[in-house]
Amino acid sequence: MQEFASDAILFLPVLMRGLWTTILLTICALALSIVLGMGWALLGASSNAFLRGISITVVNVVRGIPIIVQLFVVYFVLPEWGLDFPPFAAGVVGLGVAYSVYQAENFRGGIASVDHNLVEAGVALGMKRSTILSRIILPLGIRTALPSLGNTTVMLLKDSSIASTITIAELTREGQLLAISTFKNGTIYLLIALLYLAASLPLAAGVRALERKMARK
Amino acid sequence: MIKLNNVAKRFGDKEILRDVSFSIGAGEVACLIGPSGSGKSTILRCINGLERHDAGSIEVDGQLVTTASLPQIRSTLGMVFQRFNLFPHRTAVENVMEGPVHVLREPVSQARERAMSLLDKVGLAEHADHLPGQLSGGQQQRVGIARALAMQPRAILFDEPTSALDPERVGEVLRVMRSLAEEGMTMLVVTHEIGFAREVADTVFFADEGRIIEQGPARDVLTAPQVERTQLFLSRVLAPL
Repeated sequence: MQEFASDAILFLPVLMRGLWTTILLTICALALSIVLGMGWALLGASSNAFLRGISITVVNVVRGIPIIVQLFVVYFVLPEWGLDFPPFAAGVVGLGVAYSVYQAENFRGGIASVDHNLVEAGVALGMKRSTILSRIILPLGIRTALPSLGNTTVMLLKDSSIASTITIAELTREGQLLAISTFKNGTIYLLIALLYLAASLPLAAGVRALERKMARK
Repeated sequence: MIKLNNVAKRFGDKEILRDVSFSIGAGEVACLIGPSGSGKSTILRCINGLERHDAGSIEVDGQLVTTASLPQIRSTLGMVFQRFNLFPHRTAVENVMEGPVHVLREPVSQARERAMSLLDKVGLAEHADHLPGQLSGGQQQRVGIARALAMQPRAILFDEPTSALDPERVGEVLRVMRSLAEEGMTMLVVTHEIGFAREVADTVFFADEGRIIEQGPARDVLTAPQVERTQLFLSRVLAPL
């Protein structure tokens, strides 16, 4: 126990640096996934069959490819076509695109949950389509989507560890490097697990609070 | 003010409306009554284009209802819904301001001031900051009426405005509607409230199976209906036992 404590004090600064990168990576990929996901969801709700087709295709293709393969494509394959991302940016793009399809599902569900009678109320007031979207459908749809969006964020935080495979020095990668050089596998992976938990538990609590708030409405 | 000429409407191969013709003058209060499924609500929804009519013509304030004219027509034609359809994420006063601010581009402060006076008019000034979920059905419907009035409409369409209310809450909504009628608002009301029709309406239309089978001054149609179907309907509604 005493050895664990002294090792922990030794390793924590490095691991905390990794955790910080993990959090940064999660936030950036989350932002990208939300923007793209909203795009796919809006295309999917379009009255134009071609645009809906694009949305369905993107969602099915991206959802059908493992995230680690997508990261490899962005980091190893795209440079061959002249698109050269530094590791962190490649991680943001890879995770952001991979997660955008789950966000699209979240938003699609939210948008579909909006009572059509409210849309009619907007139409009857003389609102344009864009006004109905921005004043009625999106505020209500996003509200409904928030809990599942929170769950997706927790998954993204954990899956950001996959970015360790493309040399991003996030929490898992920093831990691996420490473990290789010190052979203190038990201490290090226990610490890594605790740090992921420390980051995800508050998020999960936030999601539950949101769900409770929604249920009251 | 509102004029329908041989309006027809089908859903698939089901005929919903046929040859519906009537007209309502400015300041007139007309009640549209008839059994469920007779097409009453569809008539209303065709007037402001929530449903597209398949044949015939509809005129509002001298303007033909077409895809091109609908935005303009909708902003001059209020609508009050059976289930209120208030925006659940906005307070009472915000619901009333929504049209003026986001359709008519009125300044927010001016819209709020007008919304407050309209809420006061329907007796809900002290509930301005409540969300719809915190209001009773009757209160929500009065907010719905204030929301329609905020657009300063030339006429208001009411789609069974009291059908979803607790019996005890019907009176407060009908009182607001009666005072609007007294102020000269043009109103077309789909309703089962025969008492309201008799006391407030100038004209009554009786719909059955997608047609207007009887129309005339309220007193005549309601007390001495000429058509057998109307007689049967009224006798059942007025003396259900």
